[in-house]
Amino acid sequence: MTQTGETAIGGAGTPPIVLMRGIAKYFPGVVANEGVDLEVKRGEIHALLGENGAGKSTLMNILTGIYQPDAGEIVIDGYDAHFASPVAAIAAGIGMVHQHFKLVQAFTVAENIHLGWSQTPRFASARALEARTKALAERFNLDVDPAKRIFELSAGEQQRVEILRVLAREARLLILDEPTAVLTPAEARELFKALRRFREAGNAVIFISHKLDEVLEISDRITVLRAGRKVATHEAAACDPAMLARLMVGRDIVLGDYRKRDVTAAPSAVPPVLELDRVAAKDDRGLPALAEVSLTLRPGEILGIAGVAGNGQRELSQVLTGLRPITAGAIRIDGKTVDKPDASECAARGIGHIPDDRLRSGLAPSLSVTDNAVIREYKAAPLAAGPLYRPGAAGGLAREIAAAAEVAVPDFAMPVRNLSGGNQQRLVARREMRIAQKVLVAAYPSRGLDVGAINTMLRYFVELRDAGVAVVLISEELEELLNLSDRIAVLYEGRIMGVFDAAAADFETIGLLMGGRTAAREAAA
Amino acid sequence: MIDPSELSRRRFMQLGLNVGAAAGASMLLPGLVRPARAALPGISEEEAVIAFGHVGPITDEGWTWSHHQGLEAVKAAYPKAKYLEVESIPYSADATRTFRQFVSEGANILFSTSNYGDFFYDVANRAPDTAFLECDGRTLGDNLGWYYVAHWWPTFVVGVAAGALSKTGKLGYVASFPVPSVYSSTNAFLMGARTVNPNATLQAITINSWFDPQAATQAGTALIDNGCDFLFGIMDEAGYLQVAEQRGVWAAMWNTDIRRYGPNAYVSSIIVDFKQYYVEQVKARLEGKWAPAGTILKMGAGVDRDAWGAKVPADVAAKADAVRKDILDGKFNPFTGPIKDSTGAVRVKDGEAVDDAWLYNWDWSIEGVTGVGS
Amino acid sequence: MSYRLQRLPSAHPGIAVLARLVAIVLALVIAGIALAFTGARPLALGVQVISSTFGSSFGLEDLGLLVTPLIFTGLAVALTQRIGIWNIGAEGQFYLGAFFATWLGTSIAGAPLPLMLVALFLAGALGGALWILIPTLARAYADVNELITTLLLNFVATLLVYYVSTGPWRDAKSNMLASTARIRYEVPEFWGIVHWGFPVAVLMALGVAALLAYTRWGYEVRIAGANPQAARYAGMPVRRRIIVVMLLSGAIAGVAGMFEVAGTVHRLQGGISNNFGYLGIMVAVLARGSALAVIPAAAMMAVILNAGIILQTQGITTSTVLAITGLVLFFTAIGDEAAHYRLVRTGAQPA
Repeated sequence: MTQTGETAIGGAGTPPIVLMRGIAKYFPGVVANEGVDLEVKRGEIHALLGENGAGKSTLMNILTGIYQPDAGEIVIDGYDAHFASPVAAIAAGIGMVHQHFKLVQAFTVAENIHLGWSQTPRFASARALEARTKALAERFNLDVDPAKRIFELSAGEQQRVEILRVLAREARLLILDEPTAVLTPAEARELFKALRRFREAGNAVIFISHKLDEVLEISDRITVLRAGRKVATHEAAACDPAMLARLMVGRDIVLGDYRKRDVTAAPSAVPPVLELDRVAAKDDRGLPALAEVSLTLRPGEILGIAGVAGNGQRELSQVLTGLRPITAGAIRIDGKTVDKPDASECAARGIGHIPDDRLRSGLAPSLSVTDNAVIREYKAAPLAAGPLYRPGAAGGLAREIAAAAEVAVPDFAMPVRNLSGGNQQRLVARREMRIAQKVLVAAYPSRGLDVGAINTMLRYFVELRDAGVAVVLISEELEELLNLSDRIAVLYEGRIMGVFDAAAADFETIGLLMGGRTAAREAAA
Repeated sequence: MIDPSELSRRRFMQLGLNVGAAAGASMLLPGLVRPARAALPGISEEEAVIAFGHVGPITDEGWTWSHHQGLEAVKAAYPKAKYLEVESIPYSADATRTFRQFVSEGANILFSTSNYGDFFYDVANRAPDTAFLECDGRTLGDNLGWYYVAHWWPTFVVGVAAGALSKTGKLGYVASFPVPSVYSSTNAFLMGARTVNPNATLQAITINSWFDPQAATQAGTALIDNGCDFLFGIMDEAGYLQVAEQRGVWAAMWNTDIRRYGPNAYVSSIIVDFKQYYVEQVKARLEGKWAPAGTILKMGAGVDRDAWGAKVPADVAAKADAVRKDILDGKFNPFTGPIKDSTGAVRVKDGEAVDDAWLYNWDWSIEGVTGVGS
Repeated sequence: MSYRLQRLPSAHPGIAVLARLVAIVLALVIAGIALAFTGARPLALGVQVISSTFGSSFGLEDLGLLVTPLIFTGLAVALTQRIGIWNIGAEGQFYLGAFFATWLGTSIAGAPLPLMLVALFLAGALGGALWILIPTLARAYADVNELITTLLLNFVATLLVYYVSTGPWRDAKSNMLASTARIRYEVPEFWGIVHWGFPVAVLMALGVAALLAYTRWGYEVRIAGANPQAARYAGMPVRRRIIVVMLLSGAIAGVAGMFEVAGTVHRLQGGISNNFGYLGIMVAVLARGSALAVIPAAAMMAVILNAGIILQTQGITTSTVLAITGLVLFFTAIGDEAAHYRLVRTGAQPA
């Protein structure tokens, strides 16, 4: 053990597990990577930091054989390597868990784990595969239900399947893209434990994250990318959050208390603009997703919804915006009960919606930036003239929204999927803010965004709040919620566990409620 | 815009068509020549373009192959002319397009070896300098004629043999479409058989194609399963002969001698031969003497029964050949009333004899025939 | 220094057109070489095809007549593609359009032609729309895959038309094989054999293109086709759009059948569709689902089909012609894909 441990940790003579030199990758009109060097030693957790669009994902896609570099070299264990495909990279012990999961939705967990794996038994019953999966899950301490199909799982559960799939393939280098974004704090701790065990066995981890504290906690070294180029590599011990944030965005960032208001801001006053009264709703599979949910939303306040992903957030945001029918209770807008709310009506009444999954529900990826930018306002003048749609006016509005969102769009006719995830999010946010005259429902608005973009996004919400709009902020980032919200409701298994005044709320209580424990039960336990 | 002269010509043709179908026996008499407005001028062999459009592939060893032999005979007579030939022309506007292409490539005489109707006439209307001849046609125009074979005579002769050979008296027939050539074929065949076995019946299956070996094979199988022990049909290929051979029943064919596909089952075939007719028509066209006409090739001059099959007993062959000789000698017309239709009504009065022009337009089934049309 | 191919998410329009041209030329060169080996003279054949097609009004008229149904059926398929649906049933809708038009055109006598033309047009559209009604409702309300339902109804429509044209409606008076009587009203011809169906087809393609680009309805259809979830999110009535688009598609295919019977063939018969419904799928694919591009795509398809007929009169067998046609389309598909790639230099650091 000590013998292998020492060689694995590696002295000066051992080649690094991965060495990338002078990597460049160009997309039409975009420098994704240029002159990037990266060294990952055996037995280290190496964090990769950078804003959205800084080129982290591209670099990792090159390392895992999804993209071919336009320049530069990759050295694995001291030997030149060239991965023509992800399969070759996996064979070399490099596995990646992507931010956007690459699972077959219609397959079970066990089937996904065994898909395209050389160790999958040639003839195996579903039960045998499930048993193997169960054993793997226990070995790596990742709780998954092998018989469930992927589309039935929450994002957090899906990520566990992804990690398990990579670990099962005996990866020596595990690449994690934003791994904690969908995990509860407890789950994150378990993940970190697993990563440390993995490191101690002489393996390496590349950890991509925006969460500075987390990066400092888990990693040994940190490489920062900016605008496709490497800025610096530092020992984690020598870093602090402020310095990392500066390296990332190239300027100082103020993480402040957004709850402060201008004196001119609209007061948080009665009457409520939107009320849910003991509302219940079902999920896509027809199972109860929300029960007895009662919320009151007043103009000019930010209501935070805390909770681990998959506890009814998606359904709640859809109920609030008229996308999902309710099975019990009542919805009142401006004090009037709405019998059968639909999305169109809610939008017309001034309820904006930033959905949790932009590409799946907020955008039509293959259509142009213009078409996507105007999806909320195409029915109104100047875009509409009678039954007509005016592409010219639409282009004008799209440019206006892009300018407000500070997104540089080279060609408004290009498919919106050509924009980076962060830019898509900014466009959607600006688009929704324009129609959010009364309420904005924002589900995980900062997911996948870098510190700078999160900052901008939170500023947007403050602007809206100060203009008298009620904002529902659904998030997993407790710090963000506490910073921004006037009140915080905790959602657990489709029920509201409690609503707190944010000023009086404390991290611990909310964290416990998110885990389904009340303070009383905790005390009793 | 519609050219008025064109409209009137079309209407005129429509009229001719209706009259012909109704009963215009004199108009349709074989060899009748309808005077053209002005005969098409002659043309030298070197400049001549001769076109053939076929319904099936020339490798079908049947109908289309026979017509292709005719083309070869013309080629032998006029080797310097240019020949255009297209196989497997569909019954759709594509047929019009193919005929138009012939015309645009300068065809002087154009044979359609099957009935393409309006697809053919529409082109003839717009190409007054080309001679158009339609096999199995009914319409005459300034530059349009037709030709066919009096297949009902040899069919009656083979029917006599079938009546003698069939033990069950149930004859099977693979039919293409409910059209006059199929009515006259089924009717003549059963009438021949009934001279030997008055209780014989004929069951037909219509497969909506002249060339569909698979459908013909299935139809043949179904007929045998229904108790038929003699298969006949009007197909351009040998599909059901092979079925008959396998199942040990008799079969008579069309077009060519294809006994090698079923040497034991083979009884005879309605052999067609257009060589002489085609050479004559081309000769007339080149010499500037061509005039539109309707021609029905008689038994012994374009259509006949094939030499009897190896397993056909000599007495059966002799009996059928005696009937054939009487017909050729003009001593016997089997198509003499009373002839009842499938409802039992007498359609041809007792003692009334019908001629080729009548038989060419036969469009109802006689009593005992089932499965052709409605 | 070395070069490498890089795939772009979307092809530049200019490059796409160029790639397609190169692909067609390549396919023809390969076909020509193969033909030369069989003893044919490919260059003379090529000259013959071009001069026959474009060298005379005769050839151009043929082209105009052939392109008309292809525009309609291609448009029918391309329209449903915009809402993410595959209408494989244009063939059946074509038949039903022809069936309805024939029924009307043979059963009413003595009506004024302009009135009857409008009635025939509506009858054709109604026939096509009715034939896609069941797949539409099944798709909209029960989420039944339209690929299967529309395809299967093609066979039913074909058999129905075969039945009426050889049975109850058969023209017993003339000797037209397996055809109904000539319908009493004809779509007037305006140039040689080309009837008014051609300009109507072009106008309809332009109209559908404008509908998609310049109406709110078209915008909603495009969004619903690209991502139905996004359309629901924006409060668009996705189901209603699907229903209308599918019915409109069926109606357009039905109009194709109506013009074929009332303008070109004048009789209903089993083979009337000439596979135009299936060829329409190919046209829509060539047009990449764009209503406007359906016109050049249909023209290209018509040239290919017409060239096939010309080649047949030159002694090239039907199967060879089909092989050449297939080769051209296959290379076109490769060209379309190749247009997504560009050559990039590797091995040197850009300054």
